[in-house]
Amino acid sequence: MEDLTRKAVQEVFQSMVSIDLTPNAASDAGLCSGGQIAGSVGFIGEANGIIYIYAAVEFAHGLTARMLGISEVEVEGEEMVNDAMGELCNMVGGYVKSRLCDAGHSCTLSIPSIVRGQQLSIEGVTQVSRRVISFAHGSHRLLVELLVKETAEE
Amino acid sequence: MSTKILTIDDSKTIRLIVARAFKPFNCTVLEAANGVVGLSVATREKPDLILLDYTMPVMDGYEVLARLRSDPDLKSTPVIMLTAEAGRETVVKIAKLSVRDYLIKPFKEDLLVERASRVISLKPKSDDGEKRKRYDDPIHLLIVDDKPAISAQIRDGLADTNWKLSCAEELGQALDICTKTAVDLVLVSHSLPKDGAYMLFQNLRSVANSAAIPVFALCVKTAVADQTRAQQAGFSGIITKPIDPSDLKSKVCRALGLETSYRYFQERGNALVLSMPKEISPHVAHEITSSLHGRLTGIVDAGGDKLIVDLKQMETANLQVINLVLSAAQACSKLSLKYAVVASDTVKAECRTCEETHVWPFAKTVEEAESVLAK
Repeated sequence: MEDLTRKAVQEVFQSMVSIDLTPNAASDAGLCSGGQIAGSVGFIGEANGIIYIYAAVEFAHGLTARMLGISEVEVEGEEMVNDAMGELCNMVGGYVKSRLCDAGHSCTLSIPSIVRGQQLSIEGVTQVSRRVISFAHGSHRLLVELLVKETAEE
Repeated sequence: MSTKILTIDDSKTIRLIVARAFKPFNCTVLEAANGVVGLSVATREKPDLILLDYTMPVMDGYEVLARLRSDPDLKSTPVIMLTAEAGRETVVKIAKLSVRDYLIKPFKEDLLVERASRVISLKPKSDDGEKRKRYDDPIHLLIVDDKPAISAQIRDGLADTNWKLSCAEELGQALDICTKTAVDLVLVSHSLPKDGAYMLFQNLRSVANSAAIPVFALCVKTAVADQTRAQQAGFSGIITKPIDPSDLKSKVCRALGLETSYRYFQERGNALVLSMPKEISPHVAHEITSSLHGRLTGIVDAGGDKLIVDLKQMETANLQVINLVLSAAQACSKLSLKYAVVASDTVKAECRTCEETHVWPFAKTVEEAESVLAK
């Protein structure tokens, strides 16, 4: 499941943002001291879980510009960044969900949602396995957190 | 008449990517943020192709398709389904629907164009004799604001352009101008009474002649909720107040696809000259960067073999300028083009503080650069 998510994130960011994300040592440490944005998408059914994608607001802003082929100054407000991050999450979720369904774990995808804040951290309830996958792009970091209910096969 | 493509997707990001993908072609891209609006636009506009998202709130792609197929006027409209879910079950389900094709997200723009071109005829804009408008053409902007000071501020900010400005203070007057004259772009104050901006937007979108006119909302910089509302309603963009003329010009150019690169690039014999303006704003840097590759391949195609980067107008060279020239130098290397940089001694010295610039051949004038490159 962790490998599948890693592959999904790399493929989606390569196709839509034209950047190569390099996996690095997983870490729970925060992205930075400034603002953060977290996109999430869940899957529910015979496999249950949530994928969170965290980025510093500044990085998310740059990703949005690249995705839309515009300069960073042309990114208009938070809504545009939220929508782009939500869409990236949706694509990562869709990729994972499709492979789970093909493997016999039928599930449906939730709509993506976005949270903004400082020092965001997610705590799962019991019987939930948690994996953190860390990526780097230049000096930027992208954290992906995967919460999977333990009844589902990983 | 240009081909009409309707994109129905709840993600503005995807709608923008679709619009960008088809920009080089003689087609009009219409947008709808959900299935209900999509059906209404389809009924009104009779598009030649519909790009339909599968998973959407309000009404999903499956239901939209069912309704399209039950409408005698729309049942034969080709539909390409877009979905983020590539599982076998979903693909089989989509294949059973009467769609012409489907595309799995993430996708590359060229793949989207390639799939669309199997269904409709896509002609490049230049093939239709429709000349791309330039920045110095008399673009007609309509400003709709009940505060004359804002209209005056915009007029002052655009005084150095050839653009024609019409002003209206209320909805009726604005619609009258749009009916009687050809308006290229509308700027409307978000704070017009009785949601006037939205009334105008809906009116323009409901008439075939004005449905594709870009409409920008003028919002106060700190009024984030207003900006979000306007974006969600489908406005083409936001211009924040106080107005930054450079930002406004850049957004107008982008929305209308105006040719701007001629301001920086000139052909001179078998050389392309890139003249950097005195000040490089992020907008200018983006304009130069985005047209650099096309201009360089153009000069190679025409038999040219060199690039001259002219920094004569600059009094100082910051990191942004150096990075721009570095990108130009890298692009030249890839195309086996020779290049030289024209700069004053001061700018040359500033450039030399960066190690990567040590290989740049410098000259004091364009003529000197030509002679250096001829050797």
